[in-house]
Amino acid sequence: MNIKENILRLQGFYILSAKAPLGIMRRPFYMRETIEQMDYMGTGSLFIVLLVSLFIGMALCLQISAELASLGLKMYTGKIVGISIIREIGPVSLALVFAGRVGSGMASELGSMMLGHQVDILRVQGVDPVKKLVTPRVISAILMLPMLTVIGDAVSLLGGYYISVFVSHQSGYFYWSQIKEIMTFDNIFSGVIKPFIFGYLISCVSCYAGLSTSGGARGLRKSTTAAVVYSMILIILSDFMLTRILLYVLGMNV
Amino acid sequence: MIEFQNVSIAFNNNHVVLNDVSFKVHFYEKLAILGASGGGKTTLLRLILGLVRPDSGKIFIDGQDITELSESELRTSRMKFSIVFQEGALFDSLNVRENVVSCFREYSNYSEEEIEKKARELLNKLGIEEAIDLMPEELSGGMQRRVAIGRALAGCKPKMVLYDEATSGLDPLTADNICGLIRDLAEGEPPERTGFIIVTHKVTDAVKVAERFIYLRNGQIVFDGDIDELRNTADAELRVFTGELHIAENIFDRRGR
Repeated sequence: MNIKENILRLQGFYILSAKAPLGIMRRPFYMRETIEQMDYMGTGSLFIVLLVSLFIGMALCLQISAELASLGLKMYTGKIVGISIIREIGPVSLALVFAGRVGSGMASELGSMMLGHQVDILRVQGVDPVKKLVTPRVISAILMLPMLTVIGDAVSLLGGYYISVFVSHQSGYFYWSQIKEIMTFDNIFSGVIKPFIFGYLISCVSCYAGLSTSGGARGLRKSTTAAVVYSMILIILSDFMLTRILLYVLGMNV
Repeated sequence: MIEFQNVSIAFNNNHVVLNDVSFKVHFYEKLAILGASGGGKTTLLRLILGLVRPDSGKIFIDGQDITELSESELRTSRMKFSIVFQEGALFDSLNVRENVVSCFREYSNYSEEEIEKKARELLNKLGIEEAIDLMPEELSGGMQRRVAIGRALAGCKPKMVLYDEATSGLDPLTADNICGLIRDLAEGEPPERTGFIIVTHKVTDAVKVAERFIYLRNGQIVFDGDIDELRNTADAELRVFTGELHIAENIFDRRGR
């Protein structure tokens, strides 16, 4: 793999990422495909999101209340759990789950369509494969990941509630009042803006990986792996940058 | 009219697939492109559709050089053709009906009833009307090929159909069936009829459908002629190819007696 090839790939990725969301500006609109993708990404991921969020919330609450108990500050459990779930852990962990489930799915589906000449057929029919295949996926990922994140956050907080009340023996009323206190615009905004961007990144990376598949089953393995690995790297790197920017924009002192 | 002018293409930097290929073919012709596997036959079809670009040379479709066009400008020239790929390349998320009418859905505002009617009509012509609600993975190879042919003929009104190994991997009976279908679908008199280019390594199938034959070797055209010229060719390698044909004919001759 030489430098020129890598730069061309990067260029291809940028073009795809720019073209995909702009596909909604002009006819034809592929409503049916978009709704189908939303169903697959949203409803399909719901169970795993609920499960993962519940356990993340419980584990986090256990760790924090154990540490705070030794300091005698157990009453702050709700606040710390809430802030870390809403602002950081919820969006990132669910984006990683999403990349694993949906990103790999997108890459392998588009990859096998590439290998089976289905994409060529679309091009021969005069259909723009980016509009028909990529745009619905990108749009649904941008819309569905934030929704899943909100649901996941709520379930994580419930998990935290269970641990703090039944394991750590704190007051449930106090836990919720702390959560209510941190439900400010700044906290929610910085937690909910992230999944929009993660969804966009995951879908663009995975679709690009899928559409650049060549070389049979081996090529498919390569592109599916690339989709998940690059999505995860991008999620974590962009999360750091987003956090930095958001804290600056919202005027919070570090 | 398709015209290739000194077209060359190589993959992976130095593996030459086509080398200085020039020929002309009218949309109404029945052309078979023969050659050993890996001889650049499929690449030739992909070049006609503009799915790949040649390294050098020009390709004219109705007088327009398609090697210079952008992806969106290629649409008009691509829509003069439709293609049937070797494996069928059916959309595996759609059932047979939706596969066949995928082009209608894209370009017309027919009502559901009309689309249903058209799909049934077409599948009836292909003899697989009962498969209308099945998914591609539930079909046999021959049926998949038929659905792919149906999809190629539906909707976009192609001037020419390109068949990429339409009969390979099928048993002789099904292959013969498909050949009959290809022949029937190209009925009519030139220049009105929808012609085809069939790419194959099975000479016996090619002679059943085509009127003109091109033989590719090492990326170059070594033979271009009709059936009689093909039978009497002096080219040693091509004689191996047509040997299959003579054997088949001998068997039938003996049976006839």
